[in-house]
Amino acid sequence: MEVKVRIDGVDHKAQAQVIKGTLWVHHNGRTFTMDAGSGRKSRKKSAGGSSDRINAPMPGKVTKLLLAPGSAVEAGQAVLVMEAMKMEYTLKADIAGTIDGIECAVGDQVVLGKTLVKIKPATSK
Amino acid sequence: MKKFTRIAIANRGEVAVRIIKACEEMGIETVLLHSEADIQTRAFRMATKTICIGPAPTAESYLNIEANINGALAGGAQAIHPGFGFLSENADFAEAVTKAGLTFIGPSADSIRSLGDKVHCKELAKKAGLPLVPGYQGEDQGVDNLISHAEKIGYPVIVKAAAGGGGRGMKLITKSADARELIESAQREAQSAFGSPKVFLEKYLDRAKHIEFQVFGDSSGLVQHFYDRECSVQRRHQKIIEEATSPSLSDELRRRMGEAACAIATMGKYKGAGTVEFLLQDGEFYLLEVNTRLQVEHPVTEEVLGVDLVKMQILTAQGDYLHDPKIVRSPRGHSIECRIYAENPFMGGVPSTGLLGHVEWPEGPGRRYEYGFDSGDTITPFYDPMIAKVIVWDESRPRAIQKMIRVLKDSVVFGVHTNIPYLIEILSHKEFVMGTMTTRFIETYFADALKEPEITETEKKIAAGALLQLRGGAATSTEAVSSSPWASFWRGI
Repeated sequence: MEVKVRIDGVDHKAQAQVIKGTLWVHHNGRTFTMDAGSGRKSRKKSAGGSSDRINAPMPGKVTKLLLAPGSAVEAGQAVLVMEAMKMEYTLKADIAGTIDGIECAVGDQVVLGKTLVKIKPATSK
Repeated sequence: MKKFTRIAIANRGEVAVRIIKACEEMGIETVLLHSEADIQTRAFRMATKTICIGPAPTAESYLNIEANINGALAGGAQAIHPGFGFLSENADFAEAVTKAGLTFIGPSADSIRSLGDKVHCKELAKKAGLPLVPGYQGEDQGVDNLISHAEKIGYPVIVKAAAGGGGRGMKLITKSADARELIESAQREAQSAFGSPKVFLEKYLDRAKHIEFQVFGDSSGLVQHFYDRECSVQRRHQKIIEEATSPSLSDELRRRMGEAACAIATMGKYKGAGTVEFLLQDGEFYLLEVNTRLQVEHPVTEEVLGVDLVKMQILTAQGDYLHDPKIVRSPRGHSIECRIYAENPFMGGVPSTGLLGHVEWPEGPGRRYEYGFDSGDTITPFYDPMIAKVIVWDESRPRAIQKMIRVLKDSVVFGVHTNIPYLIEILSHKEFVMGTMTTRFIETYFADALKEPEITETEKKIAAGALLQLRGGAATSTEAVSSSPWASFWRGI
């Protein structure tokens, strides 16, 4: 809905709406979001997650697993392939190590942020 | 001559809406053939009749030839409009539609086979003496064979889906080590998007412009071109911004390319709307491919020429459209289209899905919006991320750019993130403004995710005041500071 907010005597017109706990605001040519509960910048849903795990950067389907549990992985190596909105996205390892666990299967429809693969970091020798 | 009273639409989203509008104006009823996932869409609400042809995955619905034809027959349609993407360039579909006693609104199955299959098209172009980019278009689709040909052509090499378009099934290989992974990925995407894993290879031109010509074959088979569009602004080979006409062509080059476009379309016995795509580098042009369908960016041609390509398609399919020899078409002013993608530009463009909240497309002269969803609809992860197109027209290119930036700033989409901030950055970039951009524009200047600007103090106050009003805290304007729901938060900064 349209809102008008007065700051230091000046009226600012904006569009605003709360959708599932997120406040969406459009003001002066820009759309931004904030957490409606805390008033903080809308929480970035984990794209990469911590580096020892690979999380789904978007909702979509797992189409290919490239490595088996226990296999060695280099930093930057492709680990699995996802598809969403008709595009393929190759997910890569952030760190070198071994594949510790695979928590998805080919064909799975996964939600944003789901952990797909865990990597046991290589111990430096 | 036939006269359609009801047309089935084998598509979804904004293009389904575009076709329904053309039909409504012509007094033709529509049957929307949709998947289970597309109930809450504009096309579903607008169509005269709707028939569910299968579940969300494209292979079981929008790409299922039998289900589409059965749906059209059950809906009492005399013809099927395939839109773009999905089955629009599938010759088997065009053939099956005709066999079922229906009219396919598009070129004949034979035309699709000779021009739409990129491999056959190149053979035809070779015969016509059209310039081609070096590449491999053989039948041997073994990955090892494809890799050895890629090595022979020399990197960078681009691998493309033979049956495809729109950037899917297309990968750029820059070095030997990546060849296998990328070829296999292209084959999977090609299978999933177009129902065929066949790919071909091409030398990648690294400073080319993408220029295409709209062609149209009338009911008698006479082909004319409807001038050019430039679509050099592409990311992962998917177009983002298109315009008519191209700022890069001299009259002489435009004439030669237009003739080449008509020549190949005529050889393919083309009827209806099609597009001949070229790459232009150092003043030389090369045939890229022919798209045997309506193009996503067709509105910019419509705006500068004052034509309705969808109505022309329908009339042609009825056997009722002839080019008028008295009309000399010449483009007027300049038109730009921006594709609105549901994605987060601040996170490298990952898809953004969910419930659409408030949506607003600001009206004004020379503005046109093509969209498939309204407030309250859900953007699902099953299909293409393009949720809308914004098209502007103005007297000159600089004015059209200026108008587009304003229109994008005033457009509101809540609930999913969009590429609007990204589009505004592109439109403001010096190289785009000068019109000298090549197909590498995006990778050169916009390779990284856009940096999200900080939320300013004023914006924080507006957000807090807005939240208060949304919760019914104040009827009209709010002196936000003292009564803020986040007052404690502010003390913390």
